[in-house]
Amino acid sequence: MSLVHLQGSWTPWLGRLTLSVILYHNGIVDGAFVFAAVTGIVILGVITYYRKWGYLIREWITSLDHKKIGVMYILIGLVMMFRGFIDALMIRTQQMMADGPDSPGHLQALHGYLPPYHFDQIYSSHGTIMILFAVTPILVGLMNLIVPLQIGARDMAFPYLNAVSLWLTAAGAGLVMASLFIGDFSHAGWIGLIPLTELPYSPGVGVDYWMWAIQIGSVGTTLGTVNLIATIVKMRAPGMTWFRMPIFTWTALSTNIIGLTAFPVLGVALALLGCDRYLGTHFYTAGLGGNLMLFTDLFWIWGHPEVYFLVLPAFGIISEIIPTFSERPLFGYITMVAATFAIAGISWSVWLHHFFTMGAGPDVNGFFSVATMLVGIPTGVKVFNWAFTLYRGRLRFDTPMLWAVGAVFLLLVGGLTGMMLAIPPINYTIHNSVFVVAHFHCMVLVVAFSIFGAIAYWFPKVFGFRLDEHNGKRVFACFSLGTFLVFAAMFALGFMGMTRRLDYLADPHWKPLLIVEEIGVFFYCVACYYFFRMLHVSIRDRAKNRVGADAWGTGRSPEWIARSPVPFYNFAATPHFNALDEAAWRRGQGLSDVAPRDYEPIATPKNTIAPPLIGALAFGFGFGMVWRIWWMAGLSLIAIIGVVILRSFATETEHVISAEQIRSMETTGSSVGIVTDHISPPVAEAEAFL
Amino acid sequence: MPAHSTDPLLHPEVRQASILAYGAGFVASTVFMAIALVITLGRVLPYLGLLAAISALAMLALLAQVVLLFRLDLSETQLWKTVSLALVIPLFVLSIGLTGWMFHTLYPRTMLHFMAVQGSGSMM
Amino acid sequence: MSGAQPVLWLPGGEEHDPIANKTFGFWLYMMSDALIFAALFAAYGVLDHRFNAAGGATARQVAHPVDAFWQTLAVFASVLAYSLAMVKLKAGSRLGVLLGLGAAALLGLVFIGLEIADFASLIGQGITPERSGFLSMFFVLVAVHGLHMLFGLLWIAVMMAQVALKGFTTEVVTRLLTLRLFWTFQASIWVCVFVFVYLRGAF
Repeated sequence: MSLVHLQGSWTPWLGRLTLSVILYHNGIVDGAFVFAAVTGIVILGVITYYRKWGYLIREWITSLDHKKIGVMYILIGLVMMFRGFIDALMIRTQQMMADGPDSPGHLQALHGYLPPYHFDQIYSSHGTIMILFAVTPILVGLMNLIVPLQIGARDMAFPYLNAVSLWLTAAGAGLVMASLFIGDFSHAGWIGLIPLTELPYSPGVGVDYWMWAIQIGSVGTTLGTVNLIATIVKMRAPGMTWFRMPIFTWTALSTNIIGLTAFPVLGVALALLGCDRYLGTHFYTAGLGGNLMLFTDLFWIWGHPEVYFLVLPAFGIISEIIPTFSERPLFGYITMVAATFAIAGISWSVWLHHFFTMGAGPDVNGFFSVATMLVGIPTGVKVFNWAFTLYRGRLRFDTPMLWAVGAVFLLLVGGLTGMMLAIPPINYTIHNSVFVVAHFHCMVLVVAFSIFGAIAYWFPKVFGFRLDEHNGKRVFACFSLGTFLVFAAMFALGFMGMTRRLDYLADPHWKPLLIVEEIGVFFYCVACYYFFRMLHVSIRDRAKNRVGADAWGTGRSPEWIARSPVPFYNFAATPHFNALDEAAWRRGQGLSDVAPRDYEPIATPKNTIAPPLIGALAFGFGFGMVWRIWWMAGLSLIAIIGVVILRSFATETEHVISAEQIRSMETTGSSVGIVTDHISPPVAEAEAFL
Repeated sequence: MPAHSTDPLLHPEVRQASILAYGAGFVASTVFMAIALVITLGRVLPYLGLLAAISALAMLALLAQVVLLFRLDLSETQLWKTVSLALVIPLFVLSIGLTGWMFHTLYPRTMLHFMAVQGSGSMM
Repeated sequence: MSGAQPVLWLPGGEEHDPIANKTFGFWLYMMSDALIFAALFAAYGVLDHRFNAAGGATARQVAHPVDAFWQTLAVFASVLAYSLAMVKLKAGSRLGVLLGLGAAALLGLVFIGLEIADFASLIGQGITPERSGFLSMFFVLVAVHGLHMLFGLLWIAVMMAQVALKGFTTEVVTRLLTLRLFWTFQASIWVCVFVFVYLRGAF
């Protein structure tokens, strides 16, 4: 077995890297580069000027606190979501401009302003980023933040592994971002259209970036799923029986079971592609006994469960928000749990509906079609449960509630069009049209709506003050309007026969609807503006918006019995649970303000530099592999193993806070939330870093 | 507090080690594999019969390992391992079985060359 | 109820069992690893066809069941040696554990050696992974198992050092238990490789 011979230059020290891959002659990439470089320099400068490096490293980067890790996950996800949104903006603008043979071209493009190869990279990175580096990290971050609080745990089962997962995800996201400036990104779609991803058709580094970014990020996600399952199974506080678990925790459990079992298959699909590209094997090649349909099959064995990996926590979020703002318990708790697991179970036997048209026999297509339609039953149960929760509720339309209700409506649109696509004859007609694109965007936007709802809903729990309602509602209004304009038009265009991934559209009659889509994207831009403004106003006026333990006054799940902002040890004494919806139960009994009488010493994990180091080395490994700089990849891999082994020799990885310290922090109220000017005790005394 | 929180050697997962079970697990899986080897080399069964027989022997060997080497059961110590294995086994069946079925119907419908090979049956 | 105050906070600390948490977490990782092999076996099932041999060697020419049976014996015996080390752990015997781990490592090396020899002889006959889709699959499937074995050997070496240097602390005992799960798991995977690649291929 030997390495594949490549055309083009290669040197032992720099691999395929040369100066010419960095210096582009493309106005858009140059603009993005300048923007990113200036932003980066300003951020680094500000950190240095205010001498915050020590704070950042001590309090955040080396932290093993599940809440800080959750917040960092969400930050990575939001940054990547912004990047993915810019991609979407560019795609929409190109399609609006490049419609009809008379449409003008700018910047080296025949039509529109993006040459085909550049356009292909943009939709590929849009999909890859939005699914794997925006929505996935944000959901994992939310589960990290909320699940331990909901089950009365001090931390995750494996805090150190948790940080490793985070930094591996960061390394993957970093590779995607690096591809913007050094080399290029895959042009083969986020699903890796085969055999386009094979070396003869994609000899550049784009596919390698795509492959290694996903590979490294998904190792992180898989380790995270191990952690969350173990936490939910093993770390529940006394009294937290299975059927007292909040629905969000149930959905977290089911979604992580899906993640644990599905991501390895993606790893295999990509690793075999990697063998083809690096070692010259013939797994997916068109000749010499390869089978390119195998990649599609393996990819979607992961791909479809991944869809439910995203949507189940979103269902959990909706199920938390709606009861709180309806002031009623969730209707049909048991059926909600059952529906969650039914969806998770069926998710494993529907993947073939992504390629009905490949040509499998009618019995196979029939099986997968029926299985796909079965998903509608538990999903319908959920929708009716939410509707019955709302029915006769005392509804309050705070921002989180708006997002949750919006998500339910989108779910109806996405779900019903999904039922249409599940029928093979219809699928044969509209497959690869933008109807499909509109369908799955409705589904993924269910997740996005839930995420924005969740951020507004749980923000006060983590930071101690609410987000600004006024601007929050504006974000919702603009975002919803944008969604409606873009995707209503896109469904129509799908029926008119517009296919996916077009950098140039031949039919000038599509122009009006494409302009409607562009207007929709404009409203998304306005929503972005209000989102940043909401953050700014909320932080500026935080003193006005401080909240107590129960931030919304009608919270039901156990996280609302912890103080806001949550201290780093979560609960000063281990909570004992007495009912489903513990917070609502305690409020009903008049026990909300009962504090623990006695405190015990609490052990918290000491900070360590090892996880960010592993993340940095994983980035080095990925970068080395992409550019075929073998020494860099090899040394990084050896160093990762070395760090893991060294860390396993570390002793005294925990720090104990005495009962007295806890009592004083609890009574003076000085106990620290996750953003604070004081240094929290476990950090102050953590000297052995590794 | 349970005793094993002071001495890890008292932990139930350490205590479950047993020469008898481990030895039996080794012997059982070796014997099953040896039988499978012998019937394969002996060529006494037609292809499908052989496949069924060696698959059954593999399942027996795996079962012996699960029970005697991993010591899975429904006790408090092992319950969740057993449950997670039971939940994952259907996924093996689905992913391998449905993939096999899919390609079984896909090949004859999409690959002309495949049909030619099937027809002549001479390519080795 | 009769006026009894419900318990809201427990005065005692949390009573989590760190050993059981870690072995369960590791077991979950192994389930995920098992699905890596499930995907590889699914792919093997697809690519194990005359069509995918592309005129090159077929399963019958690369699978030598008797040679593979020696590998089977080596990996089973290695797992047995490791298991006996666990029996010694119960008795708290450091020397016994070290000897058991050493024997397991030695037998694991024998396994790896046999596999390398097998691969070398195939490649010597011009049967290489680049030759066809089927051969790519055969080599990668077997090699992925082999890489797991190599990783396990490295881990055994680290654990021998930790047992010698640190004795039976909670962490060391936990790692010995998880490593046993990992090492035994390699024997289970090998059962599938042996039966579905080497025996099925020999027909």
